[in-house]
This record gives sequence, structure tokens and C-alpha cells, in this order.
Amino acid sequence: MNRRPDAHLSLDDLDAWLAGHLGQSEQAHLDACDECRDTARTERILARHLAALTAFSPSAGFADRVMASVAVPDPFALRSMQSARRRLFGTRKAIAAAAMIAVVVLGSMAASVGWSLSHPQAIAAAGTWISGTAAAWAWGGMRALVSGIIQQPWYAGLREALGSPARLAAISALLSLAYVSGLFALRKLMAVPSGPVSHARA
Amino acid sequence: MPSGRVDLAGATDQEVVALARHGQETAYRELVRRYERPIFSLVYRMVRDRELAEDLAQETFVKALNAIESYRPEFKFSSWIFKIANNAAIDHLRRRELDTLSLDGSPHAETPEAIEATALQIGDRQETALEEVEARELGGEIEVAIARLRPEYRSCILLRHVEGRAYEEIAEILGLPLGTVKTYIHRARNELRLSLAHLKQ
Repeated sequence: MNRRPDAHLSLDDLDAWLAGHLGQSEQAHLDACDECRDTARTERILARHLAALTAFSPSAGFADRVMASVAVPDPFALRSMQSARRRLFGTRKAIAAAAMIAVVVLGSMAASVGWSLSHPQAIAAAGTWISGTAAAWAWGGMRALVSGIIQQPWYAGLREALGSPARLAAISALLSLAYVSGLFALRKLMAVPSGPVSHARA
Repeated sequence: MPSGRVDLAGATDQEVVALARHGQETAYRELVRRYERPIFSLVYRMVRDRELAEDLAQETFVKALNAIESYRPEFKFSSWIFKIANNAAIDHLRRRELDTLSLDGSPHAETPEAIEATALQIGDRQETALEEVEARELGGEIEVAIARLRPEYRSCILLRHVEGRAYEEIAEILGLPLGTVKTYIHRARNELRLSLAHLKQ
């Protein structure tokens, strides 16, 4: 497209001038037009100032803070997944088998949903029977468990021991002490040795 | 498959991304090393608050690196990460603008006097923000002039003249038509020229 000789320089022209490849007619206009020359000069100063702006750095440890929130995939898991994928979908036979399994699974799911929608009474009756039976079994089980505990020979002694508040408190204190001692012993057993271990090999 | 012995410093962004996709933590760190300064500088100049800029830059990297699988290698990685950073900064500025608008006065104030009494002086807020900017490291005349630009103009001018991105890439980063990007840059440069007219002497 031809430009009018009196048209001022456009943004693209100014960019071209800054980059040092302004067209001939544009250059002629620039040489003759005080306004465009003034604009171009200011553009050059502005571009220099902008290009000279400092690049700021975030504070130290920025990369570590970023990496603490990034989930880097485990290369071993990735490789295993890729090789599994290659094995599973590597041949036409494997793809056909996977497609068949998918069709069977999706088909049975669709059939199941269809049957459920067309037989709401049967589903409701099954639900009532299951909840009734489950409640009866739970109650029976609970009764059997409690009767079993009551019939044990140690039950009378336990009941006697827990009969007074003072004895109950003493037993609780003893049990708590045993629990805390157990915790300390476990911690000591699991502690990483601070010094050299005589039987360890280099 | 990319090998773990690739010289990361000499590798292209696409190669580094490919290594990151294979679970190499050093590749992730290399991407952060390459882009932490440009991204932080852009966001800092957009929001003009160092602590906030650091949070937004961190959010940008975490979002980009956690979604590295969804990055499409046919596009420049720099465009992708600048886009995420710019969106984070613009979203923040929009939220802040909404907060400022909501401070126009109590919704329960019924008379003009009550509205005036409960409103914050927005003009004062801007002045304070700019004064604060001048007092810190963004205090150079050009930085203050950039800070006065509309956020859209600011993104464009920073990407074009500070980061040296092409108009087409800026359009891709900002999701704007090329013509709009050119107009924004033209207007931003006019505003900057007016603000910095005295620098000609």
C-alpha cells in the first residue's frame, strides 16, 4: 500500500526506524517533517530507557520454595507406567483384548443400570430384607459377645477391682505409666545411631 | 527418550521441558532459573509490591510446573509462562480494583454526608501508592511513568520493550488481537513520551 507523502510515521514505521530499516519514502518524510523527527528522537530515548531497566531478582531461596510445592513425577514410576503401557497397547491383539474388556465392562454397567431402572420394587424389597437381616445379625452378635464376657471366670474379679474409684484411678495410673514407658522404649529402639556401630560394615 | 546427561544450560526450553516430563528435578530447577528474573520483574512492575510479586511469581511457577504435562511444545515455553504470570497479576489487580470500588461508602449509608463519611479517598490511595513506589526501588522516573499506565498497556509495553517480545508473541501471551496489542503499545508509548518529555533535554 502506498503511503501519502504528508502522512506522519506510524508505530510500525517508528519500530522500523528504531531497528534501522525504515523504507525510502518514510525516510524522506522523516527528513522533511519536524514533528516526526521529534517523535522519533523521543521514541529512541524512550526505547533506550526501557531497554536499560533493571531486571529484578526474587529473594534467595525462591527456587527451593517453588520446588517445595511442585510434584515432580517419580522417574521410576513413569518408566514403569510407560513400559506397562507399551506392553498393554503394543500389539493389535492387546488393543483388541483391551477394547473387548472395555465393551464387556461398559455393557454390563449399562445393563445393570437399565435393569435397576425397570425393577424398582425388586430393589426396594431386597434393600428391606438386607437391612432387616443385617440388624438381626448385629443384635445377635452383640448379645453373644456380652454373654461370653460375663461368663468368663475373671469377669467377677475385674468387676470387683474396678468397683471403687480409688482402685480404678490406681489401675489407670499404672496402665498410663506402662504405656509411656513402652513409648520411650520403642523410641530408643528405633533411634538412628549417632556414633559408629561396631557390627556395621563400611 | 531424553537422556539425563543433556547439558541443561545449553538445552532449548523444549528439551528442558521434555526432561522435566521424564521426572528430572534438575530440569524443573533449570526452568525456574531461566525464568525467575523475567517473570518476577514483570509481575513486580505490574503489582508494585515486592512481597506480593514474589507470591504471584511463585504461584506462576507452581502452576506452570505442576501442569507441565498440559504444555504444548508447538508453542514457546516463554509465551506460556508469561501468559500464566500476566494472568495472575491482572487477576490480582482486578480483585484489588473490586476491593477499592467496594470502599466507595457503606451500603447502609443513606444520606450523601454518610456516604462521604464512610468512603475511603481513592485519589489519596493512588497518590500514596505512587509515593510509596517512588520511595522504593521502582522509584526511577521511568518506573513511575510505567506504574501510571493502565495495567493492559503496562503488560504490553513491558513485554515489548523490557522483555523484547515480538508483537505476535505478545498477542499470544495476552490473548489479544495483534491490532489491539499494537494500539495498546502505541498509546502506552505516547503516554510515556508525555510523562518523560523533559528527558529529551
